[in-house]
Amino acid sequence: MSYLREELYQLQKTDSGIFDFIQESSLGGLWYWDLATTRNKWASSKFWKIVGHETEAWHTVLSQEDLAAIEAHTEACIANQSYSYTQLVRCTHQNGTNVWLHCSGLVLRDMAGQPYRMLGVLLDITRQRNEEVYTQELASHYGSILSNQSVYIIKTDARGNYTYVNDFFYERFGYDSKIIGTNSLESIVEEDWAKCLTVVGQCFARPEVPQQVILRKPYKDGTIRSNHWEFKGVLNGEGQVGEILCVGYDVTLLLDNLERSKRLLELTKQQNTRLQNFAYIISHNIRSHSANLTSLVKLMQNAKSEEQAAMFLQMLKTSTDKLAETIVNLNEIVTANSTFNQPREPRLLRLEVDKTLQALNILLHESQVTVTNDIAAEVTVNVVPAYLDSILLNLLSNAVKYRSPDAAPTIAIGSYEQGEYTVLTITDNGLGIDLTRNRSKVFGMYKTFHNNEDARGVGLFITKNQIEAMNGKIEIESEVGVGSTFKVYFNESIQSDLYS
Amino acid sequence: MRAFNLIYIVEDDLITSTITELIVSQNDAFGEVKKYMNGQEAFNALQVVAQQPAAIPDLILLDLNMPVMDGWEFLEAFSSLSLQKTVCVCVLTSSIDPDDIEKSKRYAEVKGYFTKPLDGDMLNQIAGLAT
Repeated sequence: MSYLREELYQLQKTDSGIFDFIQESSLGGLWYWDLATTRNKWASSKFWKIVGHETEAWHTVLSQEDLAAIEAHTEACIANQSYSYTQLVRCTHQNGTNVWLHCSGLVLRDMAGQPYRMLGVLLDITRQRNEEVYTQELASHYGSILSNQSVYIIKTDARGNYTYVNDFFYERFGYDSKIIGTNSLESIVEEDWAKCLTVVGQCFARPEVPQQVILRKPYKDGTIRSNHWEFKGVLNGEGQVGEILCVGYDVTLLLDNLERSKRLLELTKQQNTRLQNFAYIISHNIRSHSANLTSLVKLMQNAKSEEQAAMFLQMLKTSTDKLAETIVNLNEIVTANSTFNQPREPRLLRLEVDKTLQALNILLHESQVTVTNDIAAEVTVNVVPAYLDSILLNLLSNAVKYRSPDAAPTIAIGSYEQGEYTVLTITDNGLGIDLTRNRSKVFGMYKTFHNNEDARGVGLFITKNQIEAMNGKIEIESEVGVGSTFKVYFNESIQSDLYS
Repeated sequence: MRAFNLIYIVEDDLITSTITELIVSQNDAFGEVKKYMNGQEAFNALQVVAQQPAAIPDLILLDLNMPVMDGWEFLEAFSSLSLQKTVCVCVLTSSIDPDDIEKSKRYAEVKGYFTKPLDGDMLNQIAGLAT
C-alpha cells in the first residue's frame, strides 16, 4: 500500500478540512439521515446552496414523489444488505426552477449489524439535464420544419446529385428514396436546365449569397408545377462548396394569377385604345357635320337673295340628315363594342351563309354573280347570332357591290380549322383594294376606297368590332383588279371566364 | 392686296367644300378657288401645271380623311413634286386627334393646322401666312 494513501486516510480522520474539501469541490451535497423512527435529516451546506435555501426547508425543496422513492430504496437496503441504489431527485430551487440531483445511497449499520444511518451522495446534473431537454426540443423543432407541408427542402452534392430531400418533396412529386444519388437536373423540365445550371454556377462563385430561381417540374399527376427556389452553397471543411441547399415552394397558382392579370391588363389596354380611338372618331364625325351646320346658319343669315337662302336651306337639310345617319352608325358601333357578355350560341355556318345568300337573292341575280358555298354541312361556330348575321351580310354584299365590271363575277365561300379557330373564307374576283397603300385603313371607320356613292365607310369597321367582341379576328388578302379574300376567324375556345 | 391668288380646296364632302368656297370667295385677300374631291384629283391637277408657275396654286386647304388618296398620302406625293413655286398648305379638318396635329408638323409644307368650321377669323390668320 502506498504510504501516501495511508497518510491521506489518516489525515482525513483527524483533519475535517480534507473531507470538507472533497465533498465541497466534487459533490452536489451530502445527506446523512437518521433511520430511527424520528427520521432526522441533515444535509451539507453545499446542498442548501444548490437549492437556494438557507433554512432546512425539506418539504418545500424535495419532490415528495422522489422522497417516497428514496424511503422505499432505504427499506430495501435495510432488508437486504447487498442492495444499493441510485435515484433521480427533483428539487425546487427557491427561485422556482428545477434542480436535478443524482443520489446514490448507502445504509450504515452498527456493531450489531443493525441499520441506523443513511448516507446519500448527491451529484448536480441540472445543467446536463437542461442541455438534453434543449437538444430534444431543437431536434423536434427542426424535424417539424423539415416535415412541413408547404416547403421543399433538398440538398445535392457538388455534382448536383440528391443527398437529401424532405418528405413533402417525396409526397408531392411521387418519388421514393431511390432518388437519392440521382442527378437533380433530371427531375426538372429540360427547358429550365440552363437556368438551373446558371444559378448553381453563381452558388459556387459566391456561396455567401443565396440565389433565387423559378424552375418547373412534372408533378406526380403529370401536370407541370412552377417552384420558386432559394439555392445556397454549403461550405465543407476545406472551405469549398460541397453541397447546395435548396428551399422551394410551389408558385404555380401565383404565376397563373400573374399571367391572368397580365392578360386582363392587355385586354383593358386594348379596350382603352379602342375607346380613345372611338372618342376621336365620334368627335371627328359629329364635328364635321356640326361645323357645316354652324357655317350654313351663318351663311343663311347673310344670304343675298331668296334663291341663295333656299340653296342654304337645302344644304342644311342634307347636313342634318347626314348627322342623324352618323349618330345611327355610331350607335351600331357602340353596341358592338359594349357587349362582351352577349351569350354565344352554336350555329351551323353553312346554313347561316345560305340564309344570307337567300336574303341577297335579288341583288345576286341582278348582278349575275356565281356563288359557290363549299362549307361542310356540319361545321359549327359559337357566335352571337345577331353579329354573325351582320358580318355575313356585310362581307357578302361588299363582294357583290365591288364586283369587277370586266369579268363574270364569282364569290367562293369555304371554311377550315386552324388551331382554336374556325376560319370562314369569302373570295371574290372583284375590284380589290391596294393593300400596300391601305392595309392599315381597310377596317378603319369612314374609310372608303372606290368613290362609291352609297359607301358609308362603316361596314368593315363594324364587322371587325363584332368579330373582336367574340374574341375572333379578320384578315384580308387583296390585289387590285384580281379580287379580295376575307378570312373571318371564329374563336372556338370559351374565354368568358376572363370577364366574370 | 391679295394674299393668295389661286386656292385649291381638297375636300370630299360636297357641302363642306361648297361652304368653304363661299366663305373664301367673300374675303378680298383670296382669289380664284378650285375644288378637288380627294388627294388624287388635286395631285393629278398639280402634275399638269408643275412647270407653269402662274397656274400653280398659292394655297391648298387640305382635308385629311378622304377616299382614294387621303390628306397624308397627298402630302407624301406633294413632297415629291418639284414645283416652280412655294405653295402654302393648310390642313383643314374635323379631327382634333393630337396624333394628327403632331403628324402634320412633320411636313415642312404644312404651314397651319385648322379645325372646322372655317370662319372669318381663321381666314385672316391663313391670309397672314402668305409670304
